[in-house]
Amino acid sequence: MEKNFLKMTRLVQFLETLRLFGELHAPTISESGVYRFSPLDDPAELRLDYHRTQIPPKKYLLPFREEILHNATGSYREGHSGAKDLVLFGVHSCDLEGIAYLDRVFLADAADPGYSARRSRLTLVGVSCEPDDFCFCPEERESTACDLFLGASGEGFHLACHSARGRAVVSAADHLLEQGPPLPPPRFSGPCFPPQDPELRFSDHPLWQKFASTCVSCGACSVCCPTCYCFDVREYPTLSGGAARIREWDNCLFVTHGEVAGANFRPDRLDRLRFRFLHKYCGFTPLQGISSCVGCGRCKEVCPVDIDLRELTVTPKRVQP
Amino acid sequence: MKRLKLAITGLTACSGCQLTLLNCEDELPELLERCELIYFPLAESGDLDEASFDAAIVEGAVSTPKDLELLFKLRNASRLLVAYGTCALFGGVAAMNNRVSARVDLLQSVFGTGNKLPDSFPPVPLGNFVSVDATITGCPPETCDIVAMVAALAAGTLPPAPSYPVCTECRSRENLCLLLEKGQLCLGPVVQGGCNARCPATGIVCEGCRGPVREANVAQELELLLERGFGRDEIERRMSRFKPEWNYGQRS
Repeated sequence: MEKNFLKMTRLVQFLETLRLFGELHAPTISESGVYRFSPLDDPAELRLDYHRTQIPPKKYLLPFREEILHNATGSYREGHSGAKDLVLFGVHSCDLEGIAYLDRVFLADAADPGYSARRSRLTLVGVSCEPDDFCFCPEERESTACDLFLGASGEGFHLACHSARGRAVVSAADHLLEQGPPLPPPRFSGPCFPPQDPELRFSDHPLWQKFASTCVSCGACSVCCPTCYCFDVREYPTLSGGAARIREWDNCLFVTHGEVAGANFRPDRLDRLRFRFLHKYCGFTPLQGISSCVGCGRCKEVCPVDIDLRELTVTPKRVQP
Repeated sequence: MKRLKLAITGLTACSGCQLTLLNCEDELPELLERCELIYFPLAESGDLDEASFDAAIVEGAVSTPKDLELLFKLRNASRLLVAYGTCALFGGVAAMNNRVSARVDLLQSVFGTGNKLPDSFPPVPLGNFVSVDATITGCPPETCDIVAMVAALAAGTLPPAPSYPVCTECRSRENLCLLLEKGQLCLGPVVQGGCNARCPATGIVCEGCRGPVREANVAQELELLLERGFGRDEIERRMSRFKPEWNYGQRS
């Protein structure tokens, strides 16, 4: 029988082993009390009991703002990807599925150079979680979209390898592992909110108007969403006579998102909400028919006005006269 | 390369915006290679008469007949006029009492009742008197914004103008949300970002120094703050600190 069980008491040693594969980052809590993925300098800072970090791990693959092109007079170079060997430890299934979705967007034909450079050097170690009231997960999940997954079980974790790199981690940590209790039944892996009928975005659900009037377009829902990847590209001339082209996260609820010279495809907030619904729950070509909601619950937690677009898929109750 | 002919000056203001430019020590040598600073009284004496400019970068609100005279001179002598900083765009701190106090009372509280009072009127943005071609917001503006503006002008264009509220950068920096988590009077949702959420990152609420973001949902922000127990007067007082007039019914 193979050794695939890591006792909780060996976790710190296991984390040290992980450092062989790159700079170790894991969920921690900031001074002001915000959960985030950050470098794990001291294992005592690890917060495996977290529900969700404010910003999902996408920040490692698609930074909030990056220079993608720099030109000086007569020549140009691509931005530096900043790629390095990185191990993300303690990622929940929802966030792993989020990265799997971003992979489909950024690693498809004509792969994004910065994203793919960073992705190829990223080792993902998942961990099972305890859902809270914000989670949209219908049932407990165990994502396979990682190198290695740690399923909590009794006094430790069952390890499941999902890639060659995952197997390499397990063999490097062989001396820490032992034969554990029998494996629990496999759980489901994949996105959790089913794709919706695109026609629903034109529904006359009364919530559309309510959401359009209360949304403050703060951008939090997409900044914190593990699968929102819209970006804006802007070019700034430099004093030396060249230019810097930067890419920065965008949000479909901003007035500028659908703005082109002389017009706006989505002039008011209602149009923008309908567009968000379409992209998030119905998908566009070539990802049409794929819902990108992975159920992490961040949008519901961070929205200042409690907008939950999923409510639009539920037929409103008829008010009895 | 033909150098960009610039005027940089201020009207009724604290000169903080112009100082922001002088504080760009690393960029100043390159800036001087690209630009000819024809009129920049804060840095060196210069003469406005007979001069003409590619661009005039003007700080401050218009509050005296002298301000107005200088503004018209600059507008007439410059191809482009750049409103530089929150006062030039929205009136700024000098205008915060425009809706609250009579001008004469304000003047008397500073100059006393026995003296002849200087000729002045309630401070207003440049746009109330002349057309403005480009803007740099902030109190004071970010150094990167003024450098980007001058670099773009020298390249014969204007810098791109992103439009999102302070919350966007604030969340991206993994700050604690002071409005939702602490119930504080934070103006982040309605205020133009670009400052990288400087204040909330240190635990201080957004005071709104960069003025309103495009299509700000002011009515909803007002509701959010009222729900958290702040009084209407306190909210309006805070919101008018950098811009005296808001449409509190505006949702888009």
